[in-house]
Amino acid sequence: MKPDCGGNGSALRLEGLAKSFYGHLGIGRTVAVEKLDLDVAPGQIFGLLGPNGAGKTTTLKMILGLIRPDRGTVRLFGRPPSDPAARARVGFLPENPYFYDYLTAEEFLDFYARLHGIPRAARRARVADLLARVGLLGRERTPLRKFSKGMTQRLGLAQAILHEPDLLILDEPMSGLDPVGRREVRDLVLAQRAAGKTVFFSSHILQDAEMICDRVAILVKGRVRFEGAMGDLVSRKVLWYEVAVTGGPPGGLPGEMLSSAGAEALFRVGDVEALAGLLTSVQAAGGQVTSVWPRRETLEDLFMREIASGPAREEGR
Amino acid sequence: MRRLAPIALLAVAVTLAAVSRDRLAALETTPRGGNEDLLYLPNGRYLRAASLGHASLAADLVYLWAIQYYSDYDRTDRYRFVEHVFGSVIPELDPHYVDPYWLGAMILTVEAGDLEAGLRVLDKGFENNPTAWVLPYLAGFECYRARQYERAAAYFDRSSRAPNAPALPLRMKAGTVAKKGDLRESIRLWEEVLRDPRADAASLAIAERQVRDLMVRADLADLGAAVEAFRSRERHLPRSIEDLVRAGLLRRVPQDPNGQPFVYDAETGRVTSRAGGVLGAR
Amino acid sequence: MSASEAPRGRPRPGALDAVFAIAVNTFREGIRDRILYLLLAFALLLIGASRFLSLLTVGDESKIIKDLGLSAISVFGLLTAVFVGVSLVFKEIERRTVYTLLATPVSRWQFVAGKYAGLLAMLATNVVLMSSVLAAILLFRGESPLPLVTAEFLILVELALVTAFAILFSSFTNPILSAVGTAAVYVAGHLSWSFDLLKKRLPPGAGRTLCDVLHAVLPNLDRLDLKTAAVHSLPLPPGEPLWGALYGVAYTVAVLLLSAWLFSRRDFP
Repeated sequence: MKPDCGGNGSALRLEGLAKSFYGHLGIGRTVAVEKLDLDVAPGQIFGLLGPNGAGKTTTLKMILGLIRPDRGTVRLFGRPPSDPAARARVGFLPENPYFYDYLTAEEFLDFYARLHGIPRAARRARVADLLARVGLLGRERTPLRKFSKGMTQRLGLAQAILHEPDLLILDEPMSGLDPVGRREVRDLVLAQRAAGKTVFFSSHILQDAEMICDRVAILVKGRVRFEGAMGDLVSRKVLWYEVAVTGGPPGGLPGEMLSSAGAEALFRVGDVEALAGLLTSVQAAGGQVTSVWPRRETLEDLFMREIASGPAREEGR
Repeated sequence: MRRLAPIALLAVAVTLAAVSRDRLAALETTPRGGNEDLLYLPNGRYLRAASLGHASLAADLVYLWAIQYYSDYDRTDRYRFVEHVFGSVIPELDPHYVDPYWLGAMILTVEAGDLEAGLRVLDKGFENNPTAWVLPYLAGFECYRARQYERAAAYFDRSSRAPNAPALPLRMKAGTVAKKGDLRESIRLWEEVLRDPRADAASLAIAERQVRDLMVRADLADLGAAVEAFRSRERHLPRSIEDLVRAGLLRRVPQDPNGQPFVYDAETGRVTSRAGGVLGAR
Repeated sequence: MSASEAPRGRPRPGALDAVFAIAVNTFREGIRDRILYLLLAFALLLIGASRFLSLLTVGDESKIIKDLGLSAISVFGLLTAVFVGVSLVFKEIERRTVYTLLATPVSRWQFVAGKYAGLLAMLATNVVLMSSVLAAILLFRGESPLPLVTAEFLILVELALVTAFAILFSSFTNPILSAVGTAAVYVAGHLSWSFDLLKKRLPPGAGRTLCDVLHAVLPNLDRLDLKTAAVHSLPLPPGEPLWGALYGVAYTVAVLLLSAWLFSRRDFP
């Protein structure tokens, strides 16, 4: 008997995962993922970050068994993805999902509920509940071909959480969504964590990850460049302030002027005292401060640094 | 166990397919496609191959095309390929399609005047369809029209022996034999019709009349021959029919089917019958 | 085994439940596809037109109606099998619907079996519908359509086999190659006797062996063709329809197993 959760209780564990693709007739090898090790503990929100083409989607597909790795192993709760029992605990939302356009939303979710073995009696209530949860009430009978991109994304989320998975895997869940949609996805992910579930998602939009992730890994050219807890990665300390000023005299103000265009100028000041000085000067010169932006180190800074740096993997714990 | 199940299932499926295939091959009486020269594929067989399992429909289409083609009377070379189309192409596509055989034979015999070709097509049709009595029947009919009574009788005989054949071919055979001059054999055949369970009321009525008529004709012929024999021996005509019996030329005095004696004219030596004016006119 | 290990009483569908669900969905896709109706309309039109074509003949009109009807059932069934069959699996991949589907606890073989079963149900519906129209025309002419039933059933068996090949090809290649491959199997399947003939003309050696192999491996679809016999109500050798059906079904199962194996090894990048 295998234990219910393999390894040291990981929700997801990747060891030495590698995959290359070949062009026509086997000519032209492209390395998608190279020796990838990851360990995702239950109850976490884990972000797999990286630029386009870093191998994020390939990694997710290997996790779900859609692609067979050349080398290495994937364990979902200690089981390989080829085991239906392992996939039964996983929900998946692909990037830019598309579903059977000849079905209605209700028919589609009912179909997936059947695939998950949810008994007939429970299906109807579950489907109605899900549609309400993702904000598709009133769209039960709408054919999916009439769905907008945002609606399709919501439906995709609905099918991913249909069977109350212990591990939710999302591929670029917020790409192409409007601000309201992104907010809803964020809320849903946080709700999953609140319910004790694990969320593993890929993204190239760093702000999204920054807001919700417990841990992130940065993937560049098929290799993990950085992995660690969010709090460790990014300091909360303010590095500098950027101040946008309009109407004042461009010269004679304290601080470093980053750019100017017409009556507007952007200044950079090092600390709170310098900021106070700048504000006073602007006021005295009859100008207006249109925004003050405290800059912390962001994931983006880290990201840019990692992409620029050498291939060696750092441990950021 | 889980790995083995599909492999075992595959083995079972392949075995079953192989066994059933062999069984089917054993059931096949004639190999499909024939076993003749593939490189010199005749037209019909080529079409059969090209029809990919729709040979029967291809036969229909060739037949329909041929009908329209041969309905165009302006063509100069109308009869060049008739036998090939109706006797070879269509039969190779669908050997059990009976209509084209007789239609082709009709075109050949009636329009092209080629009796032998028509008979070949009909022969082939009957060979492929031993229950299609209509084919030798038509062959017999065409021979009859061509006054080849011997062959006609033989065809009618084959037709009447086919399973499911009605009494018609036998009637035709009896008539043909009479036409040939063999009246006694014809009577025997008509009596066969009378005993035939297949015969309907009309056939029975015809047969009954034919037997009566032919008996009168046969008796008249016998009487005439006896009178002729008497005259050449005695150098004068007999005075009565009884004279012929006494001379040993007849076994007894015949009567017509109504039980009436034949009428003998001692002046002319002619024998007639009161049984009906139409007699002997056929 | 795995069912007893299922974590925390999570519902596990029976092996055939998922197959059935996918089959129902595939069937639904089919009956909501306009191409199917187009093909069906053409077939019914052709069966209807046979009544008029038969007026051109001299002799037996029913033969023409039966021939055209049976061939229409077979040809339009084949077109459905090829066009719908090869695109079914590909569409799932091209439209990326397969990603979420295979991420559920559905096995690859269940996917293949479900897709196949749905398509087969569609074909069976087609054949029954077309046969009914043909039967109605024959009944209207005062003829019994019963002698055609065996032939119609074996047409369905043949279609089932051809469809299995469509699924086989589409489990590893694109629709155009799949359609060509399926059509090639159909043609070769009706010409498989020619390999036997060709063999006799070849000197012993590799060529002969190849002919033997092709003759043995290719489906012999002529064995499933009882159309001519049905039209003429010829007596069949006892057991021919039965052995034919068994041959078709066993061959189909073998092809499907192969498809499932190929499909289970496939990547979905």
